Amino acid sequence: MSGQAAQDVRTENVFMSFAVTSDSHTLDAYRARGGYEALGKALRTMQPGDVEREVTASGLRGRGGANFPVGSKWSFVNKESPVVYLCCNADEGEPGTFKDRWILEHVPHQLVEGILLAAFALHARHAFVYIRGEFDLALRRLRGALDEARAAGLVGEHILGSAFACDVVVHRGGGAYVCGEESSLINSLEGKKGYPRNKPPFPAVKGFYGAPTVVNNVETLANVPWIVARGGAAYAALGNKANPGHRLFGVSGHVNKPGLYELPTGYPMKKLIFEDCGGILGGKPLKAVIPGGSSTPVLTAGEIEALTLDAPSLQQAGSMLGSGGLIVIAEGTCMVRLLQVLTRFYRHESCGQCTPCREGTAWMDDILARVVDGRGQAADLASLQEVPEGILGNTLCALGDAAAMPVLSFMKKFRNEFEYFVANRRSLNDGRLEA
Amino acid sequence: MEITIDDRTIEANRGESVLQAAMRHGIEIPHFCYHPRLSIAGSCRICLVKVEGVPKLMPACNLSVAPNMKVSTLAPEVGRAREQVMQFLMLNHPVDCGICDKAGECRLQDYEFAFGPPRSRSLDAKHHKRKLHDLSPRIQLDNERCILCSRCVRFTREISKSNMLGIVERGAHAVVERLDPESVDDAYSDNVIGICPTGALLSRDFLYQSRVWFLEPVRSVCTGCSRGCSIDLWRRKKEWRLRSLGEERNNMLYRVTVHENPEINGPWLCNKGFDQHKLATRERTLSPTLGDVPASIGQAIARARELIAAARSPAALVSAQASNEELDAFKAALGERFRVYAREDSVAQPEEVVEDDFLIKADKNPNSYGVRERFGWKALAAADAQAHDLFLVWGDWGDYAMFGRARVIHLSSFAPQRDRRPDVHIPLSMTFERSGTFCNFEGKPNRFEKVLDKPPLVEHAADVFAQLEAELAVLQRLPEAS
Repeated sequence: MSGQAAQDVRTENVFMSFAVTSDSHTLDAYRARGGYEALGKALRTMQPGDVEREVTASGLRGRGGANFPVGSKWSFVNKESPVVYLCCNADEGEPGTFKDRWILEHVPHQLVEGILLAAFALHARHAFVYIRGEFDLALRRLRGALDEARAAGLVGEHILGSAFACDVVVHRGGGAYVCGEESSLINSLEGKKGYPRNKPPFPAVKGFYGAPTVVNNVETLANVPWIVARGGAAYAALGNKANPGHRLFGVSGHVNKPGLYELPTGYPMKKLIFEDCGGILGGKPLKAVIPGGSSTPVLTAGEIEALTLDAPSLQQAGSMLGSGGLIVIAEGTCMVRLLQVLTRFYRHESCGQCTPCREGTAWMDDILARVVDGRGQAADLASLQEVPEGILGNTLCALGDAAAMPVLSFMKKFRNEFEYFVANRRSLNDGRLEA
Repeated sequence: MEITIDDRTIEANRGESVLQAAMRHGIEIPHFCYHPRLSIAGSCRICLVKVEGVPKLMPACNLSVAPNMKVSTLAPEVGRAREQVMQFLMLNHPVDCGICDKAGECRLQDYEFAFGPPRSRSLDAKHHKRKLHDLSPRIQLDNERCILCSRCVRFTREISKSNMLGIVERGAHAVVERLDPESVDDAYSDNVIGICPTGALLSRDFLYQSRVWFLEPVRSVCTGCSRGCSIDLWRRKKEWRLRSLGEERNNMLYRVTVHENPEINGPWLCNKGFDQHKLATRERTLSPTLGDVPASIGQAIARARELIAAARSPAALVSAQASNEELDAFKAALGERFRVYAREDSVAQPEEVVEDDFLIKADKNPNSYGVRERFGWKALAAADAQAHDLFLVWGDWGDYAMFGRARVIHLSSFAPQRDRRPDVHIPLSMTFERSGTFCNFEGKPNRFEKVLDKPPLVEHAADVFAQLEAELAVLQRLPEAS
């Protein structure tokens, strides 16, 4: 990871607080850095409610993309329920996002510790890690970490000699983007087809096999040991006040140093792109940024001027921080073709359960494929507006919105390129990126 | 609690969905995937409604009512969402209504007219899927017409529990498929034809037989077992009986559909019930016989009267396929003359489901309850048979050997035994040629109406008994004549 290597090792960091070596992911290395001390502290001195209170106080929000407050998600769970399940969502599939993979590969024990702490807080006896089927090293590292932890008495019965018990089961996904949606993840985990469920009931009320279930992202859970060790207030002091903490930003696209960067929220986006990432490839001007994974609305170069990397700032700009995967687009890129890459993805990944997403994603891609092929018609421009509007907000799960938002934002901000392509049967940007 | 839908304030029950509350009060909210007896899929998205204070449109089928909830189905965004959903559903639908049996009773067609956009936005060729192919020996599937509402899948999962159908593949490639082609056919599979909101699932039996608007349903009762499910038998409407069609097609039973009856069968029926119309084409006897000799009705009745009057110890085997009215007519006319025995006319056929925990009952007769209520239930044992010198057999019966040398009067719709002809055989009308009631195994009465006219030389059982009684009364007044 070039970005990570270029960064100084900052000990106050939540994730990148050590030099990555060939064995820095092992239990011994993790313990040498103070790993599993938070778990020990929690089991010795804290009640489950205390852990939840610290997490609530930390202001930690979900890192999977929806940015939902973690403490409040946990608070929905009926702790008196005879069974509560915890699922760690490691089905990282959002294009442009690769933070969870780094955590699984480099700090798997931090995730395991986070899972155990969350399970402790939630009274969950069983935790599952639903890991993306395409992950290889990440899967091996996670399994290795769990084996080590089990052997060291950190997972299973009588964890660290206490009465607390928790099994962690790793389940590999079958390669469906939609299984990153929490309710389809639960269906898939149950052995069913990865169809999102109707909400309500939400998983916190009725999830895995009908029991209250919390589904948290890898990065979310990997924050928990730091919060328990240093206190929620310390975490809340990091970064932006309204959306505190550290986040892993994956920068891809036309930058000189793409990679994963751990930054406090509220960090200026321009600084990340032009200083940390070394500016745009080939010294070209910046054209646009997709700020939080492919589903988030695109922002033009002008829009990111004063933007900071936190949810309120991006929301104000009409986009979302999402999963923190920035896709940087240099001047000269054909936005029409770029959009078709995205629509092709959503067409392929729509589960097909509800009407607007099933039909709409394929339709948008059909239109764009025709436009890119030089067979666009003037009416297509109106359709590219109407079709995503018909999907947005009308679908069963958030994937419909995820597919509609890029199209709507591209059409809004780069309409001239689409008009040019339709009128002239060629791209406005032909060949300019390579020149 | 009270909720408001558009301008109407209605009383809703706790735990009910907005769609259910609206339906109970006769407010139409369009829906494809929702079915009152199936789980909520929430996938068609046509039932989206606006709720005051909620930014997004909500699916009415999965929206629990809350006190003082204000729902709008007339808001412009609701109309727009419906138009958009219809646009999506019709995007790759072949619109081959002209050759689709469902046309005329198709929910997709109705909603497209009601809520669809004025014209399609699509400039692209339609995507094709597998066209009419056999899903099972009974059902044809057209994946292009399917809107993937999953009603059929949920039916085979939740109601018939055969798991016969599933949706495979993802996104726009998703198709309904028979999961295990080798598996035994679901005994309730034909229900999916009725619950399909489009022409994707069609009956192979009814395929291209008639446009449905030429037909009309007549309420009837299935005679297949003692559940006595309510059915609709479909005949050609009077104004559409055309000479050019020919006698047969003007006077035939076209198909069977379920007549929803919450007391007995709900909205479901087994495949045997869906085959009830085939009884009309089973070969039957259409004129009376005396031994091997064809006779008129008058001759047959006269001969039967003679045999009854001469008998010292006559016995009757009453039919569990007969209606309550016919059983009453028998009891009033001849009940005192005969020793009455009961029996199950029909028994389970070799490949038939004998009984299950859903609808199918082991007693394959519709009115055993009515027989038991009037005559008790004494079966005819071989020893009893010796004591009688005349048997009046009502309904199908195959075992004449039991009767020894006794005389036999047989009343049945179908041909009696071949090896020994009864002394008198009078052909009877079929259930769908008369009206009446059956009592099912729980004693619930269920009425059936006349669908077709009976053939001329065939008699209703009640008329036969009435004529016999009248003639016997005459004989009694003239004792020397016998």
